[in-house]
Amino acid sequence: MDPIIQIQDLYKTFTENDKELVALDHINLDIPRNQFTVLIGPSGCGKTTLLNTIAGFEKATSGKILLDGKPILKPAPDRGYVFQDYALFPWLTVLGNITFGLTHNGWEKKGAEEKAREYIDLVHLQGFEEAYPHTLSGGMKQRVAIARALAYNPEVLLMDEPFGALDAQTRKHMQRELVKILEKEQKTVVFVTHSVIEAVFLADLVIVMTARPGKVKGMVKIDLPRKRSYVEDHYLHYREQILELLEEEVEKGFED
Amino acid sequence: MRRKIFLAILPIVIFLLAWEVSARLEWVNPVLFPAPSAILNELVDLFQEGLPAHSILINHTLATLKRLGIGFSVGVLAGVLMGVLMGLSNPSFHFFNPLILVLMSIPGIALAPLFIIWLGFGDPTIITLGALSTFFPVVYSTTTGVRSVDRQMVRAAQIMGASRLQVITSVYIPWSAAFVFNGIKLGLARGWMTVIAVEFVAASNYGLGYMIWYATERLKADVVYAGILVMILIYFILDKLLIGNVEKKTISRWGMITQKQEE
Amino acid sequence: MTEQKKKSISLSSKLKSSLDFLFPFLIIGIVWEILVQTGIIELRSLPAPSTLLAKFWELTFVNGILWKHLGSSLYRLATGYLLAVLIGTALGALLAQKPLLHDMFEPSLNLLMSVPTIAWIPIFLITLGLGDKTVIIAIFTSSFFAITYNTMRGIEMIDKSIVNAAHLMGLHGLNLFLEVLLPASMLSIINGLRLAIGYAWRALVGGELLAAMIEWGLGKMVYQARYFNDASVMLLGLLIIGITGFLLDKTFLTILERNTVEKWGMTAKK
Repeated sequence: MDPIIQIQDLYKTFTENDKELVALDHINLDIPRNQFTVLIGPSGCGKTTLLNTIAGFEKATSGKILLDGKPILKPAPDRGYVFQDYALFPWLTVLGNITFGLTHNGWEKKGAEEKAREYIDLVHLQGFEEAYPHTLSGGMKQRVAIARALAYNPEVLLMDEPFGALDAQTRKHMQRELVKILEKEQKTVVFVTHSVIEAVFLADLVIVMTARPGKVKGMVKIDLPRKRSYVEDHYLHYREQILELLEEEVEKGFED
Repeated sequence: MRRKIFLAILPIVIFLLAWEVSARLEWVNPVLFPAPSAILNELVDLFQEGLPAHSILINHTLATLKRLGIGFSVGVLAGVLMGVLMGLSNPSFHFFNPLILVLMSIPGIALAPLFIIWLGFGDPTIITLGALSTFFPVVYSTTTGVRSVDRQMVRAAQIMGASRLQVITSVYIPWSAAFVFNGIKLGLARGWMTVIAVEFVAASNYGLGYMIWYATERLKADVVYAGILVMILIYFILDKLLIGNVEKKTISRWGMITQKQEE
Repeated sequence: MTEQKKKSISLSSKLKSSLDFLFPFLIIGIVWEILVQTGIIELRSLPAPSTLLAKFWELTFVNGILWKHLGSSLYRLATGYLLAVLIGTALGALLAQKPLLHDMFEPSLNLLMSVPTIAWIPIFLITLGLGDKTVIIAIFTSSFFAITYNTMRGIEMIDKSIVNAAHLMGLHGLNLFLEVLLPASMLSIINGLRLAIGYAWRALVGGELLAAMIEWGLGKMVYQARYFNDASVMLLGLLIIGITGFLLDKTFLTILERNTVEKWGMTAKK
């Protein structure tokens, strides 16, 4: 296996109400290249913190994260990020949002717009180029956000519960869409969720994290073809496996 | 729709009619409550007196608008700059915010006596206080805007490769626009009010406020009402035309108009 | 965490935040004092903080004049403002319940609400004379429209199912208003009260300053000092106007907010 991201002895604390809390407790982890890795765990387990540290939004207290062998120090366009609440710029049109990452990385305006239109096609938003985000539905906003994160061709796509704010129907639809998009765009994805169904549907590798302080509890490799349905038997078997790992942690979380 | 307009105008018409009749029949003292028609007459007279070159009303109004124009521009400019500074730098926020909160609770007119000692009667005092009254709401709103910038948006820009300066120009500034406009709106209201009020006590010979106050002291009610009418009209025109248009092209289009918050 | 611990933390953090708040005033006071003492600034019209403090001592504890000014101002403010609160909320509630009245008066209210406070004062000076009545009515007028309008809007925006549920439980009239409509529209009402206290404060100070027959009041204190060219009384008066105006919002409105909408979880997270 050729890991693209290596997380080495990552330790992170933060203070809340004058108390020091351990968010990530000496995590060692390799994220495989061009695969879909899902981080799952009970709420407050630090999975988003881990993702944000990979993004460079937050700094490790000790330990480090390597991307292609080089330490991550700050956010940079070799990574793309899709936020749960979209974080689209309301003052830019759909096209403007998607070209943002291109024009800030040396693309000419015209070339950037052409490139952006390719990605608008990819996420099926033709005809909405000039629309402002507030006029779009949640699902459409998240498509824009995905196109925005992919357009400037980062090596890694980081996704923080991207479908968490969507209703159940749209959510399923977006999961299928994402699989289709990734068929065309080979990418390393790190995806945070708390839904086991979502994890098994999307992942090549599921990493289960413990309740605070966040550690790696176990890993489940999902050996299924890319095109999956929600009801197959071996699919359920993976679900059981992850749920078992999770359940202990969820209970622990309630005892606190 | 037509019914709504009719209903909206109805109480105003009834009120004006009742006033007109009471004044004509002298049920109320017409010296204190001159009939609406008499006020309109006075307005026309004030406008015509001295025409074409020196219409009294226009001269007074222009004098006030000039003072407001200078004071308001200085106030907005200084307010936005100071607001951005306070929004981006925590220490400067903690130092200046308490001062601003207390100072902005002082009505502009209360500062007039002190500034008359410092700067004398007339333009310098009126313009300075107009600028100060505009400044405070603009600083306050700009600071609030910059400090409320959505952290996720800053992060989104950073990870797409925006430099620190680019993050300021491409995220902080458009994000704060809604707040800045709100502050400018308020600043216009406060500035206009303060310029007129300070003209009551500090203008030596010209200005709408001077005209109103001169008439108040001599119990010339028709001039007072006419002057106030002009004052209110001009405020509405400035507010709607000047600021409303800019707003429509920017934050309304972006869906960023938050709840209408005045004061 | 125990209750007591929570309390002690919030107390010490409160103390810390008040100290943080006073810090810039202290720094400016010290720098200003040094500038005056060393003679870098030499202006009769800009007295040193020590002069202000001496004056403050004289006006509060020697002759007590300051209390009289502050007292008259607060009395006028309370009378005019409370009157506006009572009549404004009642009228707002009425307008919200009767669509016909709403359509008739909403536009006028909106218009009157945006009339600058200062516009009312000359009118009342002419029609009501140069005394107390004028100032109190000016305070009333400038706060009344904002309170009425926001109460009306607040009640109109209440979730219909809440009102229906109350009807089913047999609530009508005054009980419905006090127990359901008022709390459910509190956020908007407090918004109106906050706007109104700002307007009222401006009307009070402006009115006191301009009404010739008035002898006491913070506005008058500042204005009278002009005849004696007494910058220290002016500065002191202005500072007290600023601090009182700031505290009005920070004390009674914040307390109201904390005990109602915040407790009920109706405020959006900041």
